[in-house]
Amino acid sequence: MKKKKIAALTMCMTMAASMMIGCGSDSQSASTGNEAEETKTAETSGEEGTVTENPAKENKVASGETVKLTIAARGGSHVDVINAVKEKFEQENNVEIEVLGLEAADLKQKVALDAMNEEGTYDIVMIDDPVMPEFTENNVLLNLTAEGYEDDSDFLTASLALGKNPYGTGDTYALPFSGNVQLLFYNKDVLVELGKEVPESWAEVLEISQAAKDSGKNGYIIRGQQGNPIVSDYLPLLWAYGGDVFDENWNVTVDSTEAKEAMQMYLDLLETGANYEKNDMVSSISGGSSTMGLGWPSWFITDGSAAADYAVIPAKAETESESYASGEIGNWMMGIPANCQHKEIAIELLKYLTSEEVQRTAVDVGAVPTRNSVFADAEILAKYPYLETLQAGTENSVVRPRTAKWSAIEEAYGAELSNIVAGTKNIEQGLADAKTAIEGIMSQN
Amino acid sequence: MKRIYAVLKYLVLAVVLIWTIFPIYWMFSLAIRDNEEMMGMVSLLPHSFTLVHIQELFTEKGVGMAIINSLEVAAASLVIALLCGIPCAYIFSRKRIKYRMRTPMMGWVLLIRVLPPIAFAIPLYTMMNYLGLIGTKIPIILSHILLNMPFIIWFLISFFAGTPVDIEESARVDGAGNWIVFSKIILPLVAPGIAAVAILSFMTSWNEYLYGVIFVQDPQEFTIPLVLSTMNSEQELTQWGTVAAGGVMSLIPIIIFVIFAQDYLISGLSGGAVKE
Amino acid sequence: MKKEKQGFAYAMTLPAIVVLIALSVFPLGYTIKNSFTDYYLLAPDKAKWVGFSNYIQIVKDPFFRLTVKNTLLFTVVGVFFETTLGIVLAVFADSFKKGKKLLRILLMLPMLLPPVTVALVWQTMFSNNNGILNQILGFIGMTPVNWLQDVKTALPSILVIDIWQYTPLAFLLAYASIQTVSTEQYEAASLDGANGWKRFWYITLPNILSGVRMVVLLRVIDTFRLFDKVNILTKGGPANSTATITQYIYQYGTKNFQMGYASAASMIMTVIVVLMSAVYLKQSLKEMK
Repeated sequence: MKKKKIAALTMCMTMAASMMIGCGSDSQSASTGNEAEETKTAETSGEEGTVTENPAKENKVASGETVKLTIAARGGSHVDVINAVKEKFEQENNVEIEVLGLEAADLKQKVALDAMNEEGTYDIVMIDDPVMPEFTENNVLLNLTAEGYEDDSDFLTASLALGKNPYGTGDTYALPFSGNVQLLFYNKDVLVELGKEVPESWAEVLEISQAAKDSGKNGYIIRGQQGNPIVSDYLPLLWAYGGDVFDENWNVTVDSTEAKEAMQMYLDLLETGANYEKNDMVSSISGGSSTMGLGWPSWFITDGSAAADYAVIPAKAETESESYASGEIGNWMMGIPANCQHKEIAIELLKYLTSEEVQRTAVDVGAVPTRNSVFADAEILAKYPYLETLQAGTENSVVRPRTAKWSAIEEAYGAELSNIVAGTKNIEQGLADAKTAIEGIMSQN
Repeated sequence: MKRIYAVLKYLVLAVVLIWTIFPIYWMFSLAIRDNEEMMGMVSLLPHSFTLVHIQELFTEKGVGMAIINSLEVAAASLVIALLCGIPCAYIFSRKRIKYRMRTPMMGWVLLIRVLPPIAFAIPLYTMMNYLGLIGTKIPIILSHILLNMPFIIWFLISFFAGTPVDIEESARVDGAGNWIVFSKIILPLVAPGIAAVAILSFMTSWNEYLYGVIFVQDPQEFTIPLVLSTMNSEQELTQWGTVAAGGVMSLIPIIIFVIFAQDYLISGLSGGAVKE
Repeated sequence: MKKEKQGFAYAMTLPAIVVLIALSVFPLGYTIKNSFTDYYLLAPDKAKWVGFSNYIQIVKDPFFRLTVKNTLLFTVVGVFFETTLGIVLAVFADSFKKGKKLLRILLMLPMLLPPVTVALVWQTMFSNNNGILNQILGFIGMTPVNWLQDVKTALPSILVIDIWQYTPLAFLLAYASIQTVSTEQYEAASLDGANGWKRFWYITLPNILSGVRMVVLLRVIDTFRLFDKVNILTKGGPANSTATITQYIYQYGTKNFQMGYASAASMIMTVIVVLMSAVYLKQSLKEMK
């Protein structure tokens, strides 16, 4: 009986203790951290809040206290890159840099939520390039041009254009941190075995894939998961066949003749291979059990000795056909929230993080450069020969439609493409339904 | 006949265990294979043994810190939710104790349990933001309380309802007050229920992601599910070894809690009233 | 005397009620209010009152109806198997004399794992490239299956994962309930010559019924929110065959920032689940002493 009581007592004590630890760190995090919070209390304490706010801040800097800068980034390799290079900037500028790594959809939501506040928590945010119109149209980002930023011509034109609003011509709101463009990912050994060259048209891709299938391997791999994967996987074909999602007047053209031909080709290619998820696609092509498919170069870093390699995505339907730009560009941009509390230093940090120096380091962790000078660097090219292909691919790239509604369109389009691939709808019907759905989204508001 | 029956029984046991344990074995086995092995055909038994994935979790992904954060959040929210929830459940379960708000309150509590967190996350964020609490641990702890307290209340109502009322009556006749009846007589009887609900709530809190990702503003404050989710991304290949090792590291503390809850929580609370 | 009693009741419930009301009234009211507007997260100032148009649009949307259908299917099939298997396992585990404690922890393991890890580990097992399941199928001479990308197998595959993960919950609660059945009841029954099956049907089951009802309630509520597995493994595909209501809300709210529309969808979902759990509430109130 007594023993039990002692046990109960110890349990209560451990629980109480754990609570106190919890509370302890609460107060700690409250005191070390949030400047925004402190200024908020200052503001509410008196009517003349705006007056008291600024001196308080200047005091801080003057007293030599380090400013804390927070970067909201996409989790994974980007965070590793920033963490690897941040120390130099921290020392030179007497700041402390925190990197908050988040999954892509959560990142977008958190940036949006924080944008609603008077005083932002983040100093730099990462943005997937299709999201740019949504953010710039709603004043989430700071206009860098208005702050005196002058465009750096060393950035690839295609990448720099993504950060402008309107696209390509307007003021700059974000800089390209990591470049990426879809490429044709193939297994060199399999091509040699089959006695084939790297294909330059989709007809050749089909021929090689068919030959691979006849020799007992998987031919072409599609990435047919509903949503973003299948859309990114199909768009290059659509573009190579001369089709597009919209025409120049924003009429939906996903059911054009070109689109139907491209879809037929997509299904024929699937016949020669399989429908894999990205990890399976990379492992099967690099392992040699499958022949080729489309992928993002950051997935598989070839050092030249690997059996897999990249090529620019075929830009035409058949050998004789007209060529179109066909690789989907997918950069990760970096911008500064409009409500950022440390604009000047944030701009410096942004310049640093997208600088040539940082990109050289970042290449080793799998990041893709966005600067001509890095692509032209002989030393880097010797180490990562595929970068040459990547640069060529970027020049041959297409940007996804610049509309704030792209993520909604992608969902709807992806669902219909998935219907076609799964066989629940035929090409005609699936693409017609996709058109209806996209038109519905465009007509809202 | 008896022997056949016994053999059959152990055969069933084997099937049950394989079904339950195999995916967990698989997770452990992925956690110790090197990356190369996972590119090709992944065989039933690992051909390599490495601890790099686990090491990476601590050196690069900050799992050590995340475990501590998760423990703090889960323990603090659990203790508060239990302290408030247990007495409330007792009152709800006793119709003979006069309480006018019973039916509407029970309905309200159930409603809170039913509301989808995905709809609640942003309104809660707006509220916490208005109160200036974002950036502290308070919002995440409160949101876990919001998740768990209705569950604790509803769960324990059925346990309290199962306790015999006559014991309570005879204690009253002996002059025991309401509080004494509740704390000394009834509470020990529902100890197994409290242990079970503590395990389940702790588990919910430990694995909770949605509120966590909305409220946490600092990488030093990441909880385990947040760390794990950054390992899954559409843009990058999955590092199976790290993901699996993350699962292993997340599983260990919670197993320890379950063992603790089963052995000490039950006997401690019941003071020997319930034989386990 | 009576007055004192009610004072005690209020004192006991006060902390819980205060906390819950403080945390839920604003979010609920805010969600309801938003559901009648076209609130877009990035432009809160432009939000207009739109009456019931969100609700009408959602109910008319064939995709939403499909997600309701899928969700109901997941819920009914999933909860049925989880509960049945859980009870069977509990009775089975209880019949062992030694090693119960260890067995109980082993059988509980799946539900302790974080959802992300569960989804990804199963993804490697289901892989149609190098997954262990297809390897086994190949070994016994069957054709490999594209588990997660085939319209016929995607939903069952996700169901299997969910059943695997949450049967332990049903098991745990059923097992706990069985412990409360007194041995005298069983002894009396065996004197009457009741065999194993009869003992289960007439003694065990009635005694654990309230526990089982609780499991069903919990699992119905939570399976209705099924999201992580779907979002990681199939993103609602192929051909929308695994899309759930929560995913619908996620698509409109979290991804596209249409808070008004997503709030309305959340309210519809809440009403469906409330209607389903009202049965439970009524039953519980009836049984109280």
